[in-house]
Amino acid sequence: MNAILDFAPPLVFAALGGVLSERAGVVNIGLEGMMRFGAFAAAAGAIWTGSPWFGLLCGALAGAAAAAVHALLSLRFRADQVVSGIALNLVALGLVTYLLQSLFGSSGVSPEAPSLPRDRYGHTALAYAALVVPVLFHLWLSHTAAGLRVRAVGEHPRAAATLGVRVLSLRAWCVLGSGLLAGLGGATLSVGILGQFDSRMPAGQGFMALAAMVFGKWTPLGAAGAAFFFAAADALQRQLSFSLHAADLRLEGVFLALPYALTLLVLALGIGRTRAPAADGVPYEPEGR
Amino acid sequence: MRDKLFAPARDPLWSAVAAVACSLLVSFLAIAATGRDPVAGFGNLLAGALGGPGPLGETAIKSAVLILTGLSVAVAFTVGLFNIGAEGQLIWGGLAAAVAGRFDNPLALPLSLLSAALAGAAWGVLPGLLKVRRGVHEVISTILLNWIAIHLVHGWLVAGPLAAAGGGASISVAGTEPIVHAAWLPRFFPGSRFDLGFPLALLIAAGVWFLLTRTRRGFEWRAVGAGPEAAQASGIPAARRVCEAMALSGALAGLAGALLILGTEHKYPGVFRTGYGFDGIAVALVGGGSAAGTAVAGLFFGAVRAGSTRLQLSGIHPSFAELIQGIAVLLVAAPRIFLPLWKKLRGGEASGFRPQASGERR
Repeated sequence: MNAILDFAPPLVFAALGGVLSERAGVVNIGLEGMMRFGAFAAAAGAIWTGSPWFGLLCGALAGAAAAAVHALLSLRFRADQVVSGIALNLVALGLVTYLLQSLFGSSGVSPEAPSLPRDRYGHTALAYAALVVPVLFHLWLSHTAAGLRVRAVGEHPRAAATLGVRVLSLRAWCVLGSGLLAGLGGATLSVGILGQFDSRMPAGQGFMALAAMVFGKWTPLGAAGAAFFFAAADALQRQLSFSLHAADLRLEGVFLALPYALTLLVLALGIGRTRAPAADGVPYEPEGR
Repeated sequence: MRDKLFAPARDPLWSAVAAVACSLLVSFLAIAATGRDPVAGFGNLLAGALGGPGPLGETAIKSAVLILTGLSVAVAFTVGLFNIGAEGQLIWGGLAAAVAGRFDNPLALPLSLLSAALAGAAWGVLPGLLKVRRGVHEVISTILLNWIAIHLVHGWLVAGPLAAAGGGASISVAGTEPIVHAAWLPRFFPGSRFDLGFPLALLIAAGVWFLLTRTRRGFEWRAVGAGPEAAQASGIPAARRVCEAMALSGALAGLAGALLILGTEHKYPGVFRTGYGFDGIAVALVGGGSAAGTAVAGLFFGAVRAGSTRLQLSGIHPSFAELIQGIAVLLVAAPRIFLPLWKKLRGGEASGFRPQASGERR
């Protein structure tokens, strides 16, 4: 249970970021890259100022900055949203390693960064935030006018535009928010869990967040639930691998593959009618251009 | 805007050239911005890619793999699918080659290549089937399948059932048993790792070009990519064609894995994070989705990848290659960035390259 609260927050935040962007109709394959920028900027910010909280802020802002590129390309320049996200991941991979080496002279890990304080149960504030934020997000998305506008833009942008919603700018804000959350998720990895940046971060967690989003049917509570479930599978695998090693069974891979396989199964069998927002990934061209 | 997609249109070609040039310029400035000598850096990059038989061999090895993964993505584009799963297909192909390559017989090499192609095809046809049967969007399914392959192969098969006896203790001996000598890709020049993989990749690229542009099947694939309903209405079994193309796409990525195993690794190593599958996406996008463009882009990125190992001499991390690639894709992704430039140069409208069906998701 402790391990779950430790591993889940990065996934929860990134998955919520995915939900925010995609409910507004913008596909976000770039979560992985945004998390990577966030993780690195958080460590760098924490090292420079000595404050993990400032690091956290840097991480979230770096994620948002990366998201701004995605928004600019896919909304302003109408680039294919999948391609733009992939490009972002590639740039994150190269640029962060490059920065790591130029700033800290290391291609493996950054120096130790001050990490967030833990309470007497060993949790950081982010672990509790990961429990609360999904609920707030759900209330916002389902029960406020702003949330309704976001959903409208993701389902039927033309209709939303007719009612006076500025589709492109609302989508841009949602993509920025998505990057903020993904960056926060990445920051959780570096200043929250490990206490330093590792060049392999986020090691596929962005893609797992994407899977959690799909598994959770593009809803905040569903995505967060799936993220906790995946984290539980991960924690279980770590626990089991000790005893399995003793029995000379190297089965970690099977456990690690399980969340992805389950998500695929849910999609393939169409359990509970999984459906993406109707206008997800469809570029929107304002009329009269 | 869509009709020009797979025709040898000039605009995508120009946007690819412009994107590559801009990405080189940006990386040049990035090196300068971090206080290093960009001229020396690019000199090392060039020397590492083209300076002598050794570097040329490295370029050839890396280009061959990138050409194949690029073709894999490009073939899926023709039927309108965005195959992000080349990495997973490559992993299964590599593993199949490493397993088949352990049986000593005169045909070990062709048999290993064949098993790699079949394994890749099997993993590639899955997202095709899921798409046409269950309506699962291929971007999501291929991402999931990538991670399933990575974890199953690296975290289980290569570490457990297929691990070499006595291996696992250290990284250098981790992995499967080495393949037999008969399964190695032959090398031709002393002092260079240039092997059969490069000519093979070029031959395959020519074959794919012929298939896509000069045969009935290729025409039908493109028709399905341009509009599945219209293709279906004119008597083309669209679902079947999608699965066929995905099988070929997977086979190409599987072969790419085989080149790595049979050419340089000679076993399935314990740590095998190549990224070639993901880079294939960049290669295909910059290559404009055509076989010829993909081959050229594969050569370019192969040279950058090979040259980047020498960047270290200038104190620059080899990951710089990924940065160049990423920027190139960013720019290719958004040809409208160049729109004002186009209008000046050609007085025409820029048409961007985008995979056909990715607009209608899931």
